[in-house]
Amino acid sequence: MFSKRNSILLVAFLMVATLLAGCGANNSKPGNSGEASPSPTQTQTQTETPANTASPEPSQTGGEVNIYTARHYDVDQELYDRFTKQTGITVNVVEGKAPELIERIKREGSSTPADLFITVDGGILNSAKAEDVLQPIVSGVVDEQVPAELRDKESQWIGLSTRARVIVYAKDRVDPAQLSTYEDLAEDKWKGKVLVRSATNLYNQSMLASFIAIMGEKEAEAWAAGIAANLAREPEGGDRDQAKAIVAGVGDVGIMNTYYVGQLAASQDAEEVKVAEQIGVFFPNQQTTGTHINISGAGLIKHSKNKDNAVKLLEFLTGAEAQSKISQANFEFPVNGQAELPELLKSWGEFKIQNVDFAKYGELNPKAVEIANKVGWK
Amino acid sequence: MKITLLPRSAGRHVNGWTMTSVIGAAVVLLPILYVLACLFRPPNDNWSKVKQFLLTDYVLGSAKLVFFTGFFAAFIGVALAWLIAGYTFPLRNFFKWALVLPLAVPPYIAAYTYSSMTGYTGIIQATLRNRFDVALPPGTIEVMSDRGAIFILTLFLFPYIFMMTRVFLERQSASFIENARLLGHKPISVFFRVVLPLSRPAVMAGVMLVVFEVLSDYGVANYFGVQTVSTAIFQTWFGMYDVDSAMKMAAWLMIGVIGLFMIERWLRRSKRYASTTSRSHPLRPQRLKGLAAWGAAAFCTVIFLLAFAIPIAQLAAWSIQYGGKIWRSDFADLIANTIKGAGIGTAIILLIAIVSSRAARMFDSPFMQALSRMMSAGYSVPGAIVAIGVLAIFIELDGRLAPLYRAMGKDDGALVLSLSLAMLLTGYVIRFMATGYGALEAGYEKMPRVYSEASRTLGRSSLFTFLRVELPLIKGSLLSGFVLTFVEIIKELPLTLLLRPFNYDTLSTRAYQYATDERVFDAALPSLLLVMIGLVSVLILLRPERR
Repeated sequence: MFSKRNSILLVAFLMVATLLAGCGANNSKPGNSGEASPSPTQTQTQTETPANTASPEPSQTGGEVNIYTARHYDVDQELYDRFTKQTGITVNVVEGKAPELIERIKREGSSTPADLFITVDGGILNSAKAEDVLQPIVSGVVDEQVPAELRDKESQWIGLSTRARVIVYAKDRVDPAQLSTYEDLAEDKWKGKVLVRSATNLYNQSMLASFIAIMGEKEAEAWAAGIAANLAREPEGGDRDQAKAIVAGVGDVGIMNTYYVGQLAASQDAEEVKVAEQIGVFFPNQQTTGTHINISGAGLIKHSKNKDNAVKLLEFLTGAEAQSKISQANFEFPVNGQAELPELLKSWGEFKIQNVDFAKYGELNPKAVEIANKVGWK
Repeated sequence: MKITLLPRSAGRHVNGWTMTSVIGAAVVLLPILYVLACLFRPPNDNWSKVKQFLLTDYVLGSAKLVFFTGFFAAFIGVALAWLIAGYTFPLRNFFKWALVLPLAVPPYIAAYTYSSMTGYTGIIQATLRNRFDVALPPGTIEVMSDRGAIFILTLFLFPYIFMMTRVFLERQSASFIENARLLGHKPISVFFRVVLPLSRPAVMAGVMLVVFEVLSDYGVANYFGVQTVSTAIFQTWFGMYDVDSAMKMAAWLMIGVIGLFMIERWLRRSKRYASTTSRSHPLRPQRLKGLAAWGAAAFCTVIFLLAFAIPIAQLAAWSIQYGGKIWRSDFADLIANTIKGAGIGTAIILLIAIVSSRAARMFDSPFMQALSRMMSAGYSVPGAIVAIGVLAIFIELDGRLAPLYRAMGKDDGALVLSLSLAMLLTGYVIRFMATGYGALEAGYEKMPRVYSEASRTLGRSSLFTFLRVELPLIKGSLLSGFVLTFVEIIKELPLTLLLRPFNYDTLSTRAYQYATDERVFDAALPSLLLVMIGLVSVLILLRPERR
C-alpha cells in the first residue's frame, strides 16, 4: 500500500547519492534516476545547496586567514567580524577540542590550511609547540602589546587573556582570615569541606602541574592526596557547580576559575546571581608562591599560507580595544595593560601570580594525570 | 535446490549491487581497519600505566553502565512495544509515535538539562526554597552519579528497542500471537512464551544499538564523572597527549563489541525467524478495560514526561528567557547545515545498508557475517576515534590524488577531499552504518529467502526483485532505519567537530559551544531547534503508519 511512497523515497536516495558522487565524494552508486518526484530528502538538498559555503575560498580582495580554535566564546566571533570589516580579510573558522585540532594539524602536515591555532591552557599551547606545528610570530606590535611573560620564549604562541584559579568560600561560614594557601586546603581541618571538579579536567591538571613544578613531585602528590581526602563529595560538574554546591551547603570552600564567578554574577538567572553574592573570592598564596593562573592564546602555524594576515589578526586581537571587549564579555584578564577592566575584576585588585613557565603545564601534564589517578582524585 | 541456485545468482550479481557493496564496504572499513591496526603497534610507557591505574575500573564502569542501561532500556522498550502493539487503551495512538521522540534529544543535552533542573539553582530546589522555604539537604536529588547516567541513558535510548520491537510485533507476529490467544494462553504467558522469543531479533537489534551508544558515550559519562572506557580513552589522549594508546584502547573496545555481536549471532544460530505464510496480516490489538487501560496509559505517560516533555519544557523555557541574547543571524545556516548533512548522510547509509544486507543474505557465510559486523563497528567507538581514522585515510587520499589536483590547477600539496563535506559525510556513514544496517537486517531476517529466490528464478532482475518483492516487505524497517539514522546524525557531535570544513556549524556544534563553557541556558535554543528537527522528521516519516 505504501510501497509507492517508499520507492519514491528510494529513488530520491539514489539521486542524492549520485549527486554527491558528482561532488567528489568517493562513493559511486549505480544511479537509478528514473522519475523525479518530490520527497523530503530531495527538496532539502536542493534548497540547502546555496548555504554550502564550506570551502575557504577567498571571497574578498583582502584575502583570508584560517583559524582552528578551541575557544568557544561569542565575543571571539564578534571580534573576527569586526576585523573583517576593518581589513577586508575574511576569517574562516573551525572550532573543536584542542587536542583533536592539534592532531588534525599534524596529520595535514605541510598541506594544512590552518594559519592560527587558538586555545585555552598554556600546557596545550606548549604541546602544539612541542609537536612542531608552530613558528615564531614576528611583530613589533604584538611584542609591545603582550608582555614577555605571557608569550612563548620563542614567540611561537602569544597570550590573548588569562584567568586565575582561586579559592571561593561560603561568606556566612568561612572567615577569609582562615584562608591562606592551596596547600592549606589539603590540611585535615578542611576534611569533608573542599569542593573541586574532576581531575580529568584540564584546569585542575594544569594547576597540579604547576605545583609539581614549584614543590616537586612528592609534595605535589601529597597535596593531591590531601585534596582527594578532604573532598566534600565525589567530584562532579563544572566550576560553576562547585560554587553552587558551596551555597547549597555541601562544602565550605572550593577551587574555581575567576571568570566563572564573573559569569555567575552577570547571569540572567536570578538564582545564579544569588549564588555569586553568597560566595567570596580569595586569591591564595599571596605571601608565598602566588596564585595559579592559566592562559588562553594563539600560535602561528608552521605551514601557514596567510602568515601576514594571521599576524595582522593577532595584532588586532591583542590591541587595547579588542582586549577590553574580551575582558568585558568574559571576565578574563586582558594581556594588554592598556585594556579596560570590568568593574568586578577591578574590585579584586592586583594580585601576585605564580611564577611558572606555562610550558611546564604541558610538560608535566602526564605526570599530573598520573598522580591524580594514583591518589584517587577522580 | 538452494545449492545449485546460489552460484548462478552469485554470477548474475556481479553488477551494480556487488560493486556498490564492495565500494561501500571499502569506505566504511578502511578507517576502521586503520584504528584496528593500532593493536599491532608496540605498546609504549603510557599503555602500561593506563593498564595499571585505569583499565580495570574503567572496564568495570563501562560494563556496569552497559548492563543496567541495556536491561532497563530493554524492559521499558519491550513492555511499551507490547502494550502498544497488543492492546488498545486511552491515548495509545498518541504514544505510538510520541514514545519515539526521546531519541530526538541528545543524551548529553538531557544530562545538562536534568542536572541544572535538579541542581541548587534549578527550578525544583529554587522553587522549594523561595516559595515554600524548604531547603533540601544536599544530595537529596543526585543525578550526577552512576545511577544518574543510567537514568539518562535509559530514558533517552530505550526508544531504539521500543521502535524496532513495536514495528516487528505489529507486522510480523500476528498469526502466532492470535493463535496463542485462541489456544487460551493468558496475557503474561503470551508475552513470555510467544512475544519475547519471537521478537528476539528485533529486540536484540535495538539492544545492540543501545549498547553501542552507551559504550561510545563520552558526553554523559564525562559530565557526570562516571568512569568508562570512553572517558579513559579521552583521558589518555587529552591528559597524557597519547593518541596511540587512546586508539589502541578504542581498537580493543571495537574488538570486544564485534565479539559480542558474534556471540549473540551464534546463540541464535539454529533458530529461524522468517515466516512463510503467504499473508502476514497486521496484529489486531485487544481492548484493555478499566484499571488495566488506565494503568497502561499512566505507565506510558510517566515515561513520556520523564523522557521528553519535562526536559523539553525546560529547554523551551530557557530558550524563551535567554534565546534573545544568543540569537545570531546565522541560525538559518545552522539549521540548513544540520538538515543537509543528516539528509545526505542518511541517504548514503541506507543505500549501503540495503546493498550489503542483501549481499550478506545472498552469500550467507561466516566471512560475510564478520564483514557486515565490522561495517557496523564504527557505532561502538567514540566518534573522535572514528574521526582520526577518517582523517588519516582522507589526508592519505589527498596525497595520492595530488597529481590530479595539479592537473586541475591547484597548488602543490593542496587538500581537496579533506577540506570538503565529503570527509564529514564519510565519518557519518562509518559511525552510523549500524542504525541503518541493523534496521534493514532485522527486516530481511524475518523475510523468507525463497521470496527473492522465486522472483529471481522467474527471471526477474535483481533490481526488480528488490523493488517489487523485497521493498514492500521491508518498508517498515526502512522507515525506522531512516528515522533512526537521520536523528542520530542530527545529534552527532564529535565527528562534526573534528571533520567539518571551515565555517560549517550545525545546531549540535553550537549547543556544544555553550554547554562546554557551562552556559547551559544559552545552549537551550540550539538544542531545542535540534530536537524540533528530529521531532518533525519522526512525525513526517511515521505518518504513513497512522491511518
